[in-house]
Amino acid sequence: MKFNIPIGPQHPALKEPISLRMTVEGEIIRDADIRLGYNHRGLEKLAEERTWIQNIYLTERICGICSHSHTTCYVQGVEKLMEIEPPQRGLYIRTLVAELERVHSHLLWLGVAGHEAGFDSFFMYTWRDREVVMDILEMISGNRVHYAMNTLGGVRRDIDEGQRKHILDSLETLRARSEFYLKIGANEPTFVARLAGVGYLSKEKAMDLCAVGPTARASNVARDVRRDDPYAAYDETPFDVCTAETCDVLGRTVVRIKELFESYKIIEFLLKNLPAGAISVKAPTKAKPNEVLSRYEAPRGENTHYIKSNGTNKPERLKIRAPTLANYPATVEMLKNGFIADIPLIFAAIDPCICCAERTVETLDARSGEEKTLRFSELRKLADERYKKLSPKRNAVWPF
Amino acid sequence: MTDVEIIEKAKTLFGDKIVEIANPAKRRIFMTVEVRNLTAVVAGLRKEIHLWYLATVSGLDAGEFYEILYHFGHENGSLTIRTKIPKSDAHLESICPIIPGAILYERELQDMFGIVIDNIPDPRPLVLPDDWPAGNFPLRKDWKYERPEEKIPGGTK
Repeated sequence: MKFNIPIGPQHPALKEPISLRMTVEGEIIRDADIRLGYNHRGLEKLAEERTWIQNIYLTERICGICSHSHTTCYVQGVEKLMEIEPPQRGLYIRTLVAELERVHSHLLWLGVAGHEAGFDSFFMYTWRDREVVMDILEMISGNRVHYAMNTLGGVRRDIDEGQRKHILDSLETLRARSEFYLKIGANEPTFVARLAGVGYLSKEKAMDLCAVGPTARASNVARDVRRDDPYAAYDETPFDVCTAETCDVLGRTVVRIKELFESYKIIEFLLKNLPAGAISVKAPTKAKPNEVLSRYEAPRGENTHYIKSNGTNKPERLKIRAPTLANYPATVEMLKNGFIADIPLIFAAIDPCICCAERTVETLDARSGEEKTLRFSELRKLADERYKKLSPKRNAVWPF
Repeated sequence: MTDVEIIEKAKTLFGDKIVEIANPAKRRIFMTVEVRNLTAVVAGLRKEIHLWYLATVSGLDAGEFYEILYHFGHENGSLTIRTKIPKSDAHLESICPIIPGAILYERELQDMFGIVIDNIPDPRPLVLPDDWPAGNFPLRKDWKYERPEEKIPGGTK
């Protein structure tokens, strides 16, 4: 018997409105459907009515966690349209903030992963250490969320010697803490047992469904825009692309922890080799008719902006593709054949069979599609027979 | 593969199916094809050049035409396929059989431009609300948002 369960759009486990419709058969999810649009703000249309400068602040507000990602992606595209080249120091600071943002985003995700796995002390530890990065970002930019560092032609704030030293000192703490997280994330038996094999996404499926970022890399797809299509200061920066072969939530956790270390390496390199000079150049107000495709590796995966100019001070078209959208088809795939308990979390409270069974229920046989009307007593008889024969656990298809 | 290698390979693979191929910047290739050759070219790129990663599909209102841009990413940059369809006959063949991950972008095109995607596996609206009036396609240039007059219940004066 199949049931449809809606999750969301308002739901404590999902911080943003999205509606998931699960088709479940017993404990196992057979199909999942995603409904979007609860948060659609018409930004692309709005961007056509704003000037190049105003759009920086608009794109910054697409997301709170990766606000620097969207502005960088937008700004580096517009710089190409305007044919200006930001100074090297500006690019280094831009990259530095991008990596600090990746660190805070990955630490945040680790905490959430720990929380959803029922490991709340992990959540508290990672979020405490995330404050170290948040303080650095506040020190550099004056803000914790919307840093407003980017402008057309460079960045808006410089870094002085004291700040540089403070960041390098803080890196020591973060490194030591992250080593501890790697030890826990990859070795702590209960945590590993909860994460291993959950949300399986094979390499072939990840490629078919165009997955991006740590999701793709955990399925052993070594794609990273920072290496494949270097922007800002990444072509001068040494780092490795982290992958995992387990294709599950454990792999995604390990990839993110490893990426933390790569980010620390990049931050250290950038600070030790920070070139002297100006941080920005003056940008014109208009851009010649042209088009540009700008790519950026956000903490969650590749961010793509397609920008077309028409000679005025406003864009003709700004197309934004955020990484999460690219990962939705893969998410549906991961949910399939998993357990309800793997979708956090309130599903356990819904008992889909009993609530309306007091009257007659219409059942649809999942295998034959046969429809029939049953009385509650008949339903119970069916259930008894089924449970006498086999336990539902044994009948379940494990996702690995 | 470098830009030059990809351009050479695309030329030998598709021949006169390519209307225009340009390399305006490092790691950026823009290729124009006619809409009737679109699926054949996408299938060829997927099979022969292993372009499995479709970054997104951008729609563009260009006066008489809609321009549709398929942005692909690969290990050394990106390739964009550009195709044009007339506004009077805005039909496009789905590329989901070749690249299943394209489904959300194609649904978004339907929502935002009113382009009909033929043989799309899932034609439901993606981002617009359920009570969105039919025939309103926000990203068309002639579409303007008019804020409906605010009515306060009981406040008739």
